Amino acid sequence: MIGAAAPGYPLHFVPAGDLLGILPILIVGGGAVVVLLWDLIRPRGQEVWLAGLTGLILAAALGTAIGQWVANSGPIVVFNGTYANDRFALFADLVVLITALAVVVLSPGYLRRRGLAEGEYYILLLASVAGMLVLDGALNLIVIFLGIELLSIPLYVLAGFARDDQRSQEGAMKYLLLGGFASGFLLYGMALLYGETGHTSLTAIHAFLLRDATAGHVDPMVLAAVGLLAVGLAFKVSAAPFHWWTPDVYQGSPAVVTTFMSVATKVAAFAVFLRLFSATLAPYRAEWTVPIAVVAIISMIYGNVVAVAQTSIKRLLAYSGIAQAGYIMIGVALGRPDGTQASLYYLAAYAFMNTGAFAVVTILSRRGEDCDRYSELAGLGRREPVLAGLMSLFMLSLAGFPLTVGFFGKFFLFSAAIHDGQLALAIWGILTSAVSLFYYLRVILKMYAPAADVGPGEEFEVASVSPEGTAVAAPRAVGPAVLVVALAGAGTIVLGIFPALIYTLLQGISVVHG
Amino acid sequence: MSWPILSVTLFLPLAGAAAIVAIPASRTRAIRLALMAVTAITLGLTCVVLVAYLAVPPAAAAKLSGTANGQSLSTIHSPITFQFQEQVNWLQSGTSLSHLHPAFNEGNSAFNQAAPPPINFSYHLGVDGLSVWLMALAALLFLVAAVVLSQREARLRTFAVLMLLSEVGVLGVLTSLDLILFYFFWEAALIPLYFLMIGWGDPNRGRAALKFIIYTVAGSLFMLLAIFGVYFITGAQTGVYTFDLPTLIAAQSFVHATQATTFSLFGHSFTWLNPQEWLFLAFALAFAIKVPLVPFHSWLPDAYSSGTTPFLVFFAGIVSKLGAFGLIRYNLTLFPEASHTFQPLMLGLAIASILYGALAALAQTDLKRIVGFASISHLGFVVLGIFALNVDGLNGAIIQMVNHGIVIAALFICVGIVESRFATRTLSQLGGLARPMPVLAGLFLVVTLAGLGMPLLNSFVGEFLILLGAFQASPVWAVLASLGVILACWYMLRMYQGLTQGELRLPGTEAVSEQLQAVSRRLGRLDVGPVEVVALVPLVALMLVIGVYPAPVIRYGRFSAAQYVQAANRQTATEPALASSRAAARSLP
Repeated sequence: MIGAAAPGYPLHFVPAGDLLGILPILIVGGGAVVVLLWDLIRPRGQEVWLAGLTGLILAAALGTAIGQWVANSGPIVVFNGTYANDRFALFADLVVLITALAVVVLSPGYLRRRGLAEGEYYILLLASVAGMLVLDGALNLIVIFLGIELLSIPLYVLAGFARDDQRSQEGAMKYLLLGGFASGFLLYGMALLYGETGHTSLTAIHAFLLRDATAGHVDPMVLAAVGLLAVGLAFKVSAAPFHWWTPDVYQGSPAVVTTFMSVATKVAAFAVFLRLFSATLAPYRAEWTVPIAVVAIISMIYGNVVAVAQTSIKRLLAYSGIAQAGYIMIGVALGRPDGTQASLYYLAAYAFMNTGAFAVVTILSRRGEDCDRYSELAGLGRREPVLAGLMSLFMLSLAGFPLTVGFFGKFFLFSAAIHDGQLALAIWGILTSAVSLFYYLRVILKMYAPAADVGPGEEFEVASVSPEGTAVAAPRAVGPAVLVVALAGAGTIVLGIFPALIYTLLQGISVVHG
Repeated sequence: MSWPILSVTLFLPLAGAAAIVAIPASRTRAIRLALMAVTAITLGLTCVVLVAYLAVPPAAAAKLSGTANGQSLSTIHSPITFQFQEQVNWLQSGTSLSHLHPAFNEGNSAFNQAAPPPINFSYHLGVDGLSVWLMALAALLFLVAAVVLSQREARLRTFAVLMLLSEVGVLGVLTSLDLILFYFFWEAALIPLYFLMIGWGDPNRGRAALKFIIYTVAGSLFMLLAIFGVYFITGAQTGVYTFDLPTLIAAQSFVHATQATTFSLFGHSFTWLNPQEWLFLAFALAFAIKVPLVPFHSWLPDAYSSGTTPFLVFFAGIVSKLGAFGLIRYNLTLFPEASHTFQPLMLGLAIASILYGALAALAQTDLKRIVGFASISHLGFVVLGIFALNVDGLNGAIIQMVNHGIVIAALFICVGIVESRFATRTLSQLGGLARPMPVLAGLFLVVTLAGLGMPLLNSFVGEFLILLGAFQASPVWAVLASLGVILACWYMLRMYQGLTQGELRLPGTEAVSEQLQAVSRRLGRLDVGPVEVVALVPLVALMLVIGVYPAPVIRYGRFSAAQYVQAANRQTATEPALASSRAAARSLP
């Protein structure tokens, strides 16, 4: 009788098609709840099973996403035009889910070694992944904001997950404060855009702006909104000059969290960046393309130049991540299909090489502290030849050498830039790539050079752990974690030789801007 | 060719590397034998390619590939004849993308620009009269390096694997006929070279390796941009979007020089250089660093002085040739007009390299540095011959590339022998070695004389033709370059005399005779050992053979030289140049 309290209104069920459209999100989000409940009732000290369950959930979501890709039922716009399950979103989903899966495989061993094993970790991870999946297909300003917050809030906690590590706490606090700021920018931009256009739907906004632009009218309020949105998103992808949180947070966070944060967050944030700018805001392209290009160039220069001066591996990878964000931003700045494809290609490439590089750092981390100093890499070529070889591969790939997937990432980006006549972007990309060799190759040199051979700029660094001490304390590489590194390495090489494997996927990609 | 001999040759070292990985690291003898076997078989295959190439009369081959290969644009108009071609599609993007992109396909014309052109590149191999010689040289030098490689070398298995991977890279650069494939091998070859540089050699090798890599990659990255430039400009003008080299060479006949590029700076706009000239410079920069030409040479002395002998044999012997090869294969054919525009610049750099290299070699006391600077000087001659832009000069340059590879490898082996005996390379600490080491002194004499361009030895032939070509371009260049020949006598003989003649002198404080005895005890010998003889004798024999009877080398190089000159002279002179060069080739003995 309670259900029939309002007899005039039929009961509304969500249509099955809509639920099907967000199936990966449902699996991950529902999975987070299941893990949460199971964490309450499970026997103590069995965190590995939690990791297994999390992995299963992510694998199920991944399988669903692949199935939806293969079924290719065309762009599905669900929930009244607020979410698109198009191939663009599915591609980003795939990259996010694969990265998350890799992180989950890396986690148990690492958390145990560092004494951080807790069930909450996996719940937060799944919640954050759900936020990323929401972002990938968001077609409405409100949904975008929802996704950003769902992604960020668990990450703030995860960044401070090493509770007895001051640097982790400091990083988390910085991330929270600056992240809150960035969300504010984003929200203010959305409010202005809504105020001016009267819509939160990207479809309607696009139509409005198109009419505006066709009439030759440039709305200053919209420009302000675009600027604020760009600042908020540039923060999330850690592009300079909005990157200030990145080095501290990357260094302070537990290595597995850094792995996840540096790859998956970037993919999801770039997905929304690309959709918003190259589709929804396309009518205003003439206005935003130069500022975005400038941000890209600043990121490439700042990230690469400052990385040269680093003596911490995690900070080095953080600055390298800023530089990589600059490269990916080239595709955003172009605002054209080939640019979008090139950015997506680079994101996929980045997922392989950066996950691999951080996974090596994860494996080398010891009890109580992450592997962070350059000196800890010394002699790795002899101690762990396989890991050192794979780490070299990831460094070469990040530097953009052929035979690795990083080469084709840069290849498509520069090619798109030149074709669109943005020669400056390509030239800055080239120049900064040459700079980047310096620090990527120095990591390799450090691993293989004899102990006496100190690379340039490292003379001042005093290792607190003697080489012998490190050799004893260094953990033997553990099975599943090494498997992740090996798979990332295999992906880096195979995709570096057969770029068509991803490129053909991107050929048929469609972006629904509404 | 029914079976893919080039692919087999190219990937044989890779298979060899995989096989060597399977051998336990402790079995050094087996590893070394396997390395020698793999490099020897590769040499055999390149010789098969060489003989098969030479067996077909060049003119007939040109006709043959023109008709047999149905591709209209690539073969009928391409002035360069490539043989043993293999082509497999590598990445083929679809045609227009716009229909798949609803986002970009809106009705508004302002946002609906032309769809991006498809990106296609292929695995396309082939050889011409330039690359067959260099392939054979490369394979020979890798075999020699394998012979010289000591069984006691640290981490022998890794060294062998990296060496074979470098060989794949080098052969790939020489055989690829697609710009992307070429760039791929060009850069990928650096990876094993980098690891070889940081793993073995002098204590300061890390710095030297980093310098080398940053120099070369910085240059190469500009070349990558220029590759895109060639792709899009050629595509926009001819409608053919391709990275395929023969097609691009052919298409250049249709690419008219566009207007000069306009820059605007502080409100003033000015024009400087047309796109083809910019592209020429970008390619030339990458190759000039690799050669190296003088302002870009500073990686070389460090790299050469910190490497081990087996590494230097192929690194100095063939890797530096790739720069000169690139200048001929890419700059002359893709940018014919810019090649003429920049002829004075390139000749000037060549002269600067010849003279600066020679003078710097005179000032050095480290044996490896002397050889390094001598190498800069010699490669200056090669570039001089290339940019004489006539058949004689180019023919000389091709021969001289082969000659220089042979001579420089032999020089490094000799210097390496001295270093291994006395643990020093400082010229002033050594002297009078001819008495205790007569065989070395004899072999070293032949190599030295070859290095300074003595008649009846190989370098004379190349340098003579290069100077002949330079003279035709302008007597001034020839006069300046011949100063380099004079200086070559000085620095080569200074090294030879200082080492072998005069009073016996050895480093350290103990009596000379005690030291010699100590070395003999340690190595079981003092003079050249059997392995070193095996490595040196073929090189010395080649020096003599090419020096005494150069006709076949000249004749077969000449046809390709003529083709490249024809390619570079398009729009100015075409058929007559080829005809006259054919006549000249026939008139030779």
